[in-house]
Amino acid sequence: MARSARLTAQALAVAVVVGLLALLVWRVAHDDNTGVSQALDSGRHPTAPAFDLNRLDGRGRIDLATLRGKKPMVLDFWASWCVPCIQESKRLEAAQKRYGDQIAFIGVDTKDFSEDARRWQRKHGITYPSVHDGSGKVLAKWGGLPIPKIFFVSRSGKVVGELVVEEDLPRYLRQIAAS
Amino acid sequence: MKLIALVCVAALLVVPVARASEQHPSQAELEGEVMCPVCGTTLDQSSSPAAQQIKRAIAAWITAGHTKSEIKSALVAEYGESILAAPPRHGFGLLAWWLPIGGIVVAAVVVGLGAWRWSRAREPAPRAVQLDPAVERRLDDELRRFEG
Repeated sequence: MARSARLTAQALAVAVVVGLLALLVWRVAHDDNTGVSQALDSGRHPTAPAFDLNRLDGRGRIDLATLRGKKPMVLDFWASWCVPCIQESKRLEAAQKRYGDQIAFIGVDTKDFSEDARRWQRKHGITYPSVHDGSGKVLAKWGGLPIPKIFFVSRSGKVVGELVVEEDLPRYLRQIAAS
Repeated sequence: MKLIALVCVAALLVVPVARASEQHPSQAELEGEVMCPVCGTTLDQSSSPAAQQIKRAIAAWITAGHTKSEIKSALVAEYGESILAAPPRHGFGLLAWWLPIGGIVVAAVVVGLGAWRWSRAREPAPRAVQLDPAVERRLDDELRRFEG
């Protein structure tokens, strides 16, 4: 009886250790290094991860999945505390004036106060719609910090590229507009 | 009895402090309980622009007379549960509070049981050896002769 109790206790201890190890392996395997940015870096063009978030201006929600197949998209991850985001968003605002009828421009305000974000948009004259990703969960799927991060998505929903060099903006816009 | 009195006194001291902290939270204590969303540390450890933004908001809420719970709820509504340095005391977050306590209790029970079993399993002290009466008599004689 005592022997079987000891064996049970030992088996339980081994099971707990194995369980903790499995948790560790799972956590490492599902780390944030599996975002869209990392996929693009390794030469792949993944399907744009879907999101369904509240619009910053309070006019409902934007569900990325519903836009797939209708229009190519430019996704701009920004925050009101991000200084370089100002210039990038202004450039996209200018691009929207030219490509707005062919391409959907969507901002993703991330890890930010929505009130500050709305004020920031008004101050800098940004008119394309933004959604609020306060927890940064959507940003994590797209590659995480740092921001700004700008992605170009084809009409079929494939991520064509991420803006790394400013000069690439017109090329990417032409590419997805023709998709 | 003394222990109960001690617990009551401690409770009387702690409860008003906790209530005051809830009604009139200080900037410093909230900065120690709220995370910076971009740096992985609490606000008081960070001077990043995102942390500064939240510090300003907390200061404004404190000035406006909001309670600690209201401020934390507003932050959770904006940033999600991960903005809090400690897990919430409800739902799945409860596990993080009770698991360590459960672990300590289980470990104490295991150690207690082990000690109890060890104390019971000890060999009894060897009893005095019973000699044969003839041998005992002979031994007494020998000793008497030796001492004599």
